[in-house]
Amino acid sequence: MNVIYPLAVPKGRRLCCEVCEAPAERVCAACTVTYYCGVVHQKADWDSIHEKICQLLIPLRTSMPFYNSEEERQHGLQQLQQRQKYLIEFCYTVAQKYLFEGKHEDAVPAALHSLRFRVNLYGLSSVELVPAYLLLAEASLGLGRIVQAEEYLFQAQWTVLKSTDCSNATHSLLHRNLGLLYIAKKNYEEARYHLANDIYFASCAFGTEDIRTSGGYFHLANIFYDLKKLDLADTLYTKVSEIWHAYLNNHYQVLSQAHTQQVDLLGKLFENDTGLDEAQEAEAIRILTSILNIRESTSDKAPQKTIFVLKILVMLYYLMMNSSKAQEYGMRALSLAKEQQLDVHEQSAIQELLSLISTEDRRIT
Amino acid sequence: MTTLPPLPMTRPKLTALARQKLPCSSRKIPRSQLIKEKDDIDHYLEVNFKGLSKEEVAAYRNSYKKNICVDMLRDGYHKSFTELFALMEQWDALREAARVRSLFWLQKPLEEQPDKLDYFYHYLTRAEDAERKKSFEDVYNNLYALACYFNNPEDKWVRNHFYERCFKIAQLIKIDGGKKEAEAHMHMGLLYEEDGQLLEAAEHYEAFHQLTQGRIWKDETGRSLNLLACESLLRTYRLLSDKMLQNKEYKQAIKILIKASEIAKEGSDKKMEGEASYYLGLAHLAAEEYETALTVLDTYCKISTELDDDLSLGRAYEAIAKVLQSQGNTTEAIKYLKKFVKIARNNFQSLDFVRASTMLGDIYNEKGHYNKASQRFQQAFDTTVELMSMPLMDETKVHYGIAKAHQMMLTVNNYIESADLTSLNYLLSWKESRGDIEPDPVTEEFRGSTVETVSQNSEHLEELSRYDKSSKKFLLSTHFVQYTKYNLILQTQKEKFHPALDNLNTETLL
Repeated sequence: MNVIYPLAVPKGRRLCCEVCEAPAERVCAACTVTYYCGVVHQKADWDSIHEKICQLLIPLRTSMPFYNSEEERQHGLQQLQQRQKYLIEFCYTVAQKYLFEGKHEDAVPAALHSLRFRVNLYGLSSVELVPAYLLLAEASLGLGRIVQAEEYLFQAQWTVLKSTDCSNATHSLLHRNLGLLYIAKKNYEEARYHLANDIYFASCAFGTEDIRTSGGYFHLANIFYDLKKLDLADTLYTKVSEIWHAYLNNHYQVLSQAHTQQVDLLGKLFENDTGLDEAQEAEAIRILTSILNIRESTSDKAPQKTIFVLKILVMLYYLMMNSSKAQEYGMRALSLAKEQQLDVHEQSAIQELLSLISTEDRRIT
Repeated sequence: MTTLPPLPMTRPKLTALARQKLPCSSRKIPRSQLIKEKDDIDHYLEVNFKGLSKEEVAAYRNSYKKNICVDMLRDGYHKSFTELFALMEQWDALREAARVRSLFWLQKPLEEQPDKLDYFYHYLTRAEDAERKKSFEDVYNNLYALACYFNNPEDKWVRNHFYERCFKIAQLIKIDGGKKEAEAHMHMGLLYEEDGQLLEAAEHYEAFHQLTQGRIWKDETGRSLNLLACESLLRTYRLLSDKMLQNKEYKQAIKILIKASEIAKEGSDKKMEGEASYYLGLAHLAAEEYETALTVLDTYCKISTELDDDLSLGRAYEAIAKVLQSQGNTTEAIKYLKKFVKIARNNFQSLDFVRASTMLGDIYNEKGHYNKASQRFQQAFDTTVELMSMPLMDETKVHYGIAKAHQMMLTVNNYIESADLTSLNYLLSWKESRGDIEPDPVTEEFRGSTVETVSQNSEHLEELSRYDKSSKKFLLSTHFVQYTKYNLILQTQKEKFHPALDNLNTETLL
């Protein structure tokens, strides 16, 4: 049933592959509106996104039913648009999630869908396409297809360049991806330029001390680390960890205050919350663990900094309700503090954190 | 028909590359090579067409502010960037606030002042470099340079920001024995002083003074820092004590001023010491501790004579005279005031001269030496005329008028008390001529200042009542008792002698 018979297909329908746009040979049996060039692409699409949106595609790809009045027609059109918008967002978040989980392969079809719907809805030269391009570029970078990533990025850059009203946040994202591209191409000069732009735009959009700005600092620090400018990288890493510390400590303080104010009110558990979405949490973990690795490699020089990062990680995992990880990092911090014989104040602060985590853990289990 | 052979053409490298890439070219080029060639073309463009380089395009397209920020960041100067960014945001916020309050804010936005941005870039990045190398002295120097650059009225808050940063950095500098820290304290003191927070300013100046004690540090203009510290500290103490005196907290004020004079003594600058004791004397005077005031002022006197400083000597005499006057020791006071008058005259200090003469006149007036009083007042008045200052002239005029009235009162009293025909005639003729002419007060006073005829005096009385109208009631009210006495005598004569005086009385009563 999966094989198509071209003559049986409704008139005017494009028979090209959903993934690569080549002439199609197969059709999805569930929705009968999606075509593929072969089994490989069909499987890839199914695993990535098609399983989730299969039925939603039907109204978009079949011709509109006949409406009797102009009013109904308008209503129908509006509904169609709304469906498309929903699909755009849905595909975008799915793709993003795959990217943060490191499943670049799976992210591509989802991102492609998002891009395609965007083109349908907004036209080819709209700024709305940029996020989708950036997703695709990131996925391609992850897959090591630098050329493809470059193509997508230049497309995005061109779109941004032509549009007059593009938010600072989008600019920042674009430059960050360009920076990553040039890092991958080992062109550190360009990469630094783009990352600097990224930080500038992010600062304009969110402020210099925002966690969304920290990504730019982090990548810039990596470049300097690779260039063996260690003191520079060090100050930048410190900056990133300070940003995260400020953010997480703030949340942590609020939470612990709530704990102390109403102890055991009906034994109710407090919802730990980082205030971050999944993507940001994944980013936080990635950034902080890599900083930790770097710090640990030079741990004998500045154990204070390692402990600082460890503490941030403890707080992060604690707020993410991952108490086993939190405990692990906490123990590491404590042992390091004891080993290096740091001041008592530091040790007691870590102890306190650990005890809080363990009580929380017991209450849950 | 023969086709012409193709023209031999030398193509530049770029076109050659582009030609090869064209779809019509026979050669098949693999994709990877195409990309490599694209990079080549980019590079070629960058090298050979200067105006087309990507960076230059970016520099042209973007605002100068952004270019500066990006330049900072790509070299890793993130702290400078953060600082500059925060400053620019504050700048905008201030502008916005000024706009909301509908004040006319003359400052252009920072983006439109590239030279200022250049300064920021230059010094901030250097400071950060130095900070990374842990050479805090360089950090301080760079930040201080920025503070100096913004040392103008409209950018004061920027300067203050950098003073504060300097202060923080200076505390980390240990090798120079605290010179930078002292300087930073000085700047912070200045900052608070300008802000009107005298207590904080005094604190910083005290620290500054302590740090510079016994050191021979000099600032850029060659002045000794210790002396500078003493000066600033004294100034702040004086302002503080002024405020306290206004609130009648005499004890506090005196305590602070004693501290000030001790510091001045340590500073071994005679002039400053003198100043300190002068203000201490004034404070004692305000607190009504006359004896101590006198001893303190005496030292000031001595110091001034030592320094051969006439002006401060004059001030000393004046202050001493005031103290003596408050004590009731008028003869001594007169002695000092005469000295003061002399000094003021010799140094052409007209204002001082007026003040001294007025004070002298007042004392004479109180003592009943009306002739002398009016003489002094006249001198004062003449000087004010020279000075052409209207408010002062009015004031001395009133003083003069009062003295004249006093002077005249005696004569009138004599006439009335003698109660014979000739005196009555005198009185009558005075009364008649009184209202006739309205003489110009200035010329009249010039002419008739020493003449003691009754008719002349009447004019002065009229004048007096006129000035009384012009809000000088308080002066007259002190002499009210005498006037009422005078008026009563007139009433017993059953003659309404003196409408002017009547006028005056009702007005003073009102």
